[in-house]
Amino acid sequence: MTEFENAVTEAVERIAKAAGEEDLERLRIEFLGRNSAISQRLSGLASEPKEKRAEIGKAGNQAKQRIGAALEARALELAGARMGKLAEVEAIDVTFPAPPLDRGHIHVLNQVRSEVETILERLGYQVEEGPEIETDWYCFEALNLPKGHASRDLQETFFLAEDESIVLRTHTSSVQIRAMERLRTPPIFVIAPGRVYRRDNLDATHLPYFMQVEGLAVDEGLTVGDLKGTLLYLVQSLFGPERRVRMRPTYFPYTEPSFEFDTLCGRCGGAGCRSCGNQGWLETGGCGMVHPNVLRNGGVDPEKYTGFAWGFGIERMALLKYDVEDLRLFYENDLRFNEQF
Amino acid sequence: MRVSYRWLGDFVDLDGLTPQEAASLLTMSGSKVESLLVIDLSAIVVGKVLEQRPHPSSRDPLWIHQVDLGAETRQIIAGAPNARAGTLVPVALPGTVVPSGKQVRDAKIAGEEGRGMMCSAAELLLGEDHSGIMLLAEGKPGQSLGELFPLDAVLDIEVTPNRPDCLGHMGIGRELAAVSGRPMKRDFMPPFIEGEDPPAVDLIKIAIEEPDLCTRFVAAPVTGLRVGPSPAWVQVRLRLAGVRPINNVVDATAYGMLEYGKPTHAFDLRRLRGDELRVRRARDGESLLCLDGQTRRLSAAMLVVADGEGPVAIGGVIGGEASAVQEDTTDVLIESAGWNGVNIRGTSRALGLRTEASARHEKGLAPELALAGARRVTALVREWAGGTVHREWIDLYPRPQEPIRVHVTPEKIDALLGAHVPLTESRAILDRLGFQTRVQDGGDWDVMVPVFRLDVAIPEDVVEEVGRIYGVDRIPPTLPGRRHESWTPAPTSRPQETIRQVLAGAGFAEAVTPALVSSALLEKLGLAGRMRRLLNPMSEELDAMRTSLLPSLLQVARLNQNRGRPQVRLFELARVYLARSQDPSGLADEPLTVAALAHTGGTPAAGREGFLLLKAVTDRLAHALSLPAPAYERATDALFHPGRTAAILLDGAQVGLLGELHPSLGADFDLDGRVVAVQLDLGSLLGAAKPRQVRPLPRFPAVQRDLAVVLPEDQPTAAVQTAIREVAGDLLEQVRAFDEYRSPELGAGVKSLAFALTFRSPERTLTDSEVDQLMDQTRRRLESEFGAKSR
Repeated sequence: MTEFENAVTEAVERIAKAAGEEDLERLRIEFLGRNSAISQRLSGLASEPKEKRAEIGKAGNQAKQRIGAALEARALELAGARMGKLAEVEAIDVTFPAPPLDRGHIHVLNQVRSEVETILERLGYQVEEGPEIETDWYCFEALNLPKGHASRDLQETFFLAEDESIVLRTHTSSVQIRAMERLRTPPIFVIAPGRVYRRDNLDATHLPYFMQVEGLAVDEGLTVGDLKGTLLYLVQSLFGPERRVRMRPTYFPYTEPSFEFDTLCGRCGGAGCRSCGNQGWLETGGCGMVHPNVLRNGGVDPEKYTGFAWGFGIERMALLKYDVEDLRLFYENDLRFNEQF
Repeated sequence: MRVSYRWLGDFVDLDGLTPQEAASLLTMSGSKVESLLVIDLSAIVVGKVLEQRPHPSSRDPLWIHQVDLGAETRQIIAGAPNARAGTLVPVALPGTVVPSGKQVRDAKIAGEEGRGMMCSAAELLLGEDHSGIMLLAEGKPGQSLGELFPLDAVLDIEVTPNRPDCLGHMGIGRELAAVSGRPMKRDFMPPFIEGEDPPAVDLIKIAIEEPDLCTRFVAAPVTGLRVGPSPAWVQVRLRLAGVRPINNVVDATAYGMLEYGKPTHAFDLRRLRGDELRVRRARDGESLLCLDGQTRRLSAAMLVVADGEGPVAIGGVIGGEASAVQEDTTDVLIESAGWNGVNIRGTSRALGLRTEASARHEKGLAPELALAGARRVTALVREWAGGTVHREWIDLYPRPQEPIRVHVTPEKIDALLGAHVPLTESRAILDRLGFQTRVQDGGDWDVMVPVFRLDVAIPEDVVEEVGRIYGVDRIPPTLPGRRHESWTPAPTSRPQETIRQVLAGAGFAEAVTPALVSSALLEKLGLAGRMRRLLNPMSEELDAMRTSLLPSLLQVARLNQNRGRPQVRLFELARVYLARSQDPSGLADEPLTVAALAHTGGTPAAGREGFLLLKAVTDRLAHALSLPAPAYERATDALFHPGRTAAILLDGAQVGLLGELHPSLGADFDLDGRVVAVQLDLGSLLGAAKPRQVRPLPRFPAVQRDLAVVLPEDQPTAAVQTAIREVAGDLLEQVRAFDEYRSPELGAGVKSLAFALTFRSPERTLTDSEVDQLMDQTRRRLESEFGAKSR
């Protein structure tokens, strides 16, 4: 029995009855604080005879440990009780709507462009830029579209020079020759996204300005199959693995053979619906094996290398991805539209 | 090109090939079928009108008919009066959908039952006439109309410009034959026609003055014919192909063109003046009254066919009215010529006239087609209008067509397609398309291109022919995989995406606006100095390339304000287009620019808040792009507020402007409140990027002190901060102004600035007293240099 026994007993009893965590904190100060009876007693040891000091000190510390243990035990009990009642005490109405976060948006056309870039960068392509105010040579002549060629009529052109030698590029294919000139030696794998211009009247399905992405691959032994696989990888990455791609032969002066490529309609899965004009397929873009004359104009030997190229409208891709009916919405920037993406 | 399915049957066996299957085969081999209209009349029945009487009580004039349908008699009401008793009419019963798309229902009109519909030719797609009920020449009551008019379909085919041979049924028929693996039923060249005396050369002489522009001229006279309507089946076919029947001679030229894709022209031989036709350039001042009733002024760039007195046709484009075939015509001259496509297109554009003939000739038709067309049309004229064909046709051929031969190896076909096409299959494909393949020693192919295919010239063209008929679907998709010693390394960062993400993250919505803008607007805003103007704009609103993104963003802010969204925050990252001083009409500079705009409230404080917001955004952009911290200096610009604008500097070089826009600019765009904007040149920004330096975490605690000073209004905060840094030295880790304050108590012309200073040593814990000492020195320096009073 030490002189602290009664104090410990009292403390342990009262701690066991402590009603709450604040109550317990008060008890901790009362029994263990600087002004507690035990602390006072221990700090007054100097007046005790030397031989008793160690004994009292030891007893006092043991008493403190016992009280401390009781405090800890009770604290655990009280915390457990509090946790048990969290659902009643702290419940909020989880159905109350959140206030909107103040946030901005990246425009849907740039979202789609960025997705296309990311997908093709995985295949080793790089982004290549070219001017929009372009020479006739890069836009037409070097692409096997000499003056007077019937296909020039299909791409009604804006001119910026009296002699028609400077144009607003009608397609991003104009970057093909520039890319070959810059990179010189295959392998050349580039994509060229950007704005293009054609003299089309502005309505729900036509704009005099729009955005395209051009892809160009030049290497030894590239095939139509490679072109097909690349488009399939791109379309399925963008729209999902169920979206098949088909290529239909067509004519472009800068590719031979040339194809248009279609994407399986996502709404009807090919059965035909209003969305795809009952075709089951949605026209997506144009593609083909780079014409030997174009390779030659880019400084690449067509006897040694082959290439493929494709191009499509970014607006068109956005239409395929989201059902937007009016192309003008993309350029109007009513934020109620922009914010949906 | 509108193609009749049944007409294709003249060239290829259609047995077991539905219109839908034919359309699909054609589309997948390169002749894209835009639309398919099946004309199935099997559900329509022949009715005989027994009785016709006026409707007794309807307000509009209507007629009530009793119609014998074989098994029953029905009452049918019609508005047209021409189905008189005794006539045979096509009847659609309730529930039927007629080919034009109309659904037939039972109807009760003003008390009278109508139980079916008598159809017009237009409703059955058998003609354009919709004014009255179609009267049938034959048929038994109750008989299906499908027996009289067998199943047909109209395929609207988009023919690519390199394939003018497909602007006729024969060409499309050949495609269908090739892709379905069936033989062609008819040869390309029609048989020679024996002619009679006198020889053609006695009836007319021909001369070509421009052999480069008129490469061939075939002329065949037919005399003693009778002009009249062409046979009914011909008229049906022409209508399906979209051509209005006129008379048997004109219809023969149209029919021949719709088969061969080769336009020909019929002159009334007796209305030609003199005994010679000359193909020559038009003379300035000449004009021609054309077949469509329009008189056209001609120029020397155009080629005409002229008789002794003047032009009688614009070569390859349109004929003249005066020499046209008329009802009393008895002698005609069938002209079938080869024309230079580029010249035809020029003429067509200059005249603003695109005819069926010019649309074909402008593609540069093979001269060999001229003879085929002349033979076919002449044979048809003789068949439908009678008359005598004369011997020794005139055939001037100054520029004979050279045969095209292409050297190709079977390996090339496989290598380019990425699939193995069996030799027998590729040769069969070429054969069905009219190519002749000769295997040379060593297995290479010498391929002779058919005369009507001027588009095939190089091995790749031959590969395309094989591939498109073999089927692109059969080529397995692969991804390129080649061995190389080195690849062009891919950049790991995309700074443009970083900018977009930072701005979007800061609450700004990205706009994408047209680069085409109004030159008048740029001029008004003083932005037209280096503007590039379009020479052939579509409207004044879109006639120049923009030199700044700000007007576009202001327009977007206005649109949103007017639609109930005031105070938007916008940005755009795009090119602007600036003429180069050394070559103002050549290529332009196209710097990428980023502009952001905050539309705020109208108070000066709101404007200042917007300014600080955009400054914070600029600072964050700089950090995200690994740029040095931007500095800001008071600046002026015509579009900006004279007192609230800063130049943005990186390492002392200006990279952009930040500021409130001039209030008059906001007014120009009808914007309420104030607008703050920043514009940055992306090239300058990215040029200033430095590799990121990472500092180790500090090991000793920092000491924070605030410093508030009152100083004259005109002292810029940045200068004070610089002075603080100088005095406090290396131990000052950071100084940041956090408050600017004015009040009457402080007095006029002064402001209070508050700074938060962070001191830290990398080597030890600083003591209060040494920091106090630095603070005292700082205060004294600000007093002496700026006349600042500490608060």
